[in-house]
Amino acid sequence: MKTPQLAKHYPFAIGIPAVIWQVVFFYLPLALLVAGSFLIWTEEGGFAGFSLEKFTFFFRPPYFTVIGASLLLALSTSILCFLIAYPIAYYMAFRGKKWKNLLLFLLIVPFWTNFLLHVYAWFYVLEREGILNTLLRALSITHEPIAFLNSTFAIMIMMIYYYLPFMLLPIYASLERFDSKLLEASYDLGASWRQTLCKITLPLCSRAIKTGFFLVFIPSFGEFAIPELMGGDRVMFIGNVVSQFILGDETGSLGASFTVLSCIVLVISALVLYQLLSWFLKPRATTW
Amino acid sequence: MVKSNSFATVCHFVLVASVYLFLYVPIIVLLVFSFNSEPFPAPWSKFTWQWYGELFTSSSFLWDSFFTSLVVACCATLISLTAGILLIFYAAQGGRIGKFLTLFYGNLIIPETVLAVSLLGFFTFAAIPLGLTTLILAHTLLGLGFVIPLVYARFKELDYRLTEASLVLGATPIQTFFKVTLPLLRPVLVAASLLVFVISFDDFILSYFCSGSSSQTLSLYILSMLRSEISPVVNALSALLLILSSGLVWIFFTLKTRTKIF
Repeated sequence: MKTPQLAKHYPFAIGIPAVIWQVVFFYLPLALLVAGSFLIWTEEGGFAGFSLEKFTFFFRPPYFTVIGASLLLALSTSILCFLIAYPIAYYMAFRGKKWKNLLLFLLIVPFWTNFLLHVYAWFYVLEREGILNTLLRALSITHEPIAFLNSTFAIMIMMIYYYLPFMLLPIYASLERFDSKLLEASYDLGASWRQTLCKITLPLCSRAIKTGFFLVFIPSFGEFAIPELMGGDRVMFIGNVVSQFILGDETGSLGASFTVLSCIVLVISALVLYQLLSWFLKPRATTW
Repeated sequence: MVKSNSFATVCHFVLVASVYLFLYVPIIVLLVFSFNSEPFPAPWSKFTWQWYGELFTSSSFLWDSFFTSLVVACCATLISLTAGILLIFYAAQGGRIGKFLTLFYGNLIIPETVLAVSLLGFFTFAAIPLGLTTLILAHTLLGLGFVIPLVYARFKELDYRLTEASLVLGATPIQTFFKVTLPLLRPVLVAASLLVFVISFDDFILSYFCSGSSSQTLSLYILSMLRSEISPVVNALSALLLILSSGLVWIFFTLKTRTKIF
């Protein structure tokens, strides 16, 4: 389609501030980060050659564990978010009727509120004297209070709580535009709901699902506030290591190379995830 | 519509309801305890407005950080919006900005931690002291990442006959831009500004790395409260911020724009 055009009176200089801002404050720092991770400088700030030393420093088991833990966290968060978000988005789009907008509103309000307040709110629920323990004891399921905080459980609860809308909103947006006649046609022609799901609904919103997966997977890979606050430093993730190195004395450049290293892992795993999702979401002859 | 048996519908409803419970139980507990006269973990004793009073009278530290966040969010929104409008103004003259557009996709794709680390390195390298300026610089990047793709997507859908008509009827390009193009883009501009404002106001990671010691944002203040003493004043603050964000979401909804949040 033709874009609206005015006469060409004004030079590119008018439009350029955004581009300059982007190059100077986004691409330049990133380039410096990458360069800094393998260039060596002399004491006076002169150039002294290349080295992979700052990378090999991290080729040790404790750091493999950190990277593995982050991958596991990001993957499990995105899968759990998808499993929860899909039915909700489906409900909102096809069965919500007049409640649709209210449901959407209630979903976005917490999403637009500072997430640290939600961490704080979960303390009330999960503390030793918190709501959940009180409830469990009132129902006499347990007698001793369970330590929910500072555990993987608490981290996962908070991760799902925070990242759910990132998965839900794109899927909802795609399902809302979905032509429900397609579903009717599928059912009329005798398909079961499982066949309809695998052959029609999932493949047709595969783009949105992929978007959702990446909106959850990528930020949760670098997440450090939630593990630190909910997990009590028990498990270290990439975000924690990076922030410790970067904000520590004299370890800034090591932190930079660890950031670059984890970005490489992130890009590779994102590509693998993309392939897996494409395979999983393609329309197929048989249902699982 | 969709064929369904009643049992499946009921199960589906229960699932949705329990997820919304999961979302709202912590918030409700938080709000209830903002009216409790004894600080947590003491059980409920009696109703009080005391913590709301303290919120507005004591702790100037809290309000300092609140205003820092407000200033940073407003500046980041204004700068990214202006830069975005200028770029669209160039595009409206037939300038091809498609190739520049891809430059801006990175902002939302890379993890914020990486963005923050690279910016911190850059600020150290360029000897820019950490503070309000660096916060605004960093948050504007997030803003650009949202504003430019959103506004450009809407701009491409505009009916070019409207601008043509305006030009044929003798309006100058500047008049056309301000009286035709910009008003047509108004809903998406408001939506994008709201989004940038909220994201900057609630941002934690960029603030954590780029704020320095001189300026503290609200997120950092809440973090320090979480790490040290937990006071019901934070509950009162949460109530206030929830009202604020409900208001903003409400405005977003009434815009009736087709802008997707993602």
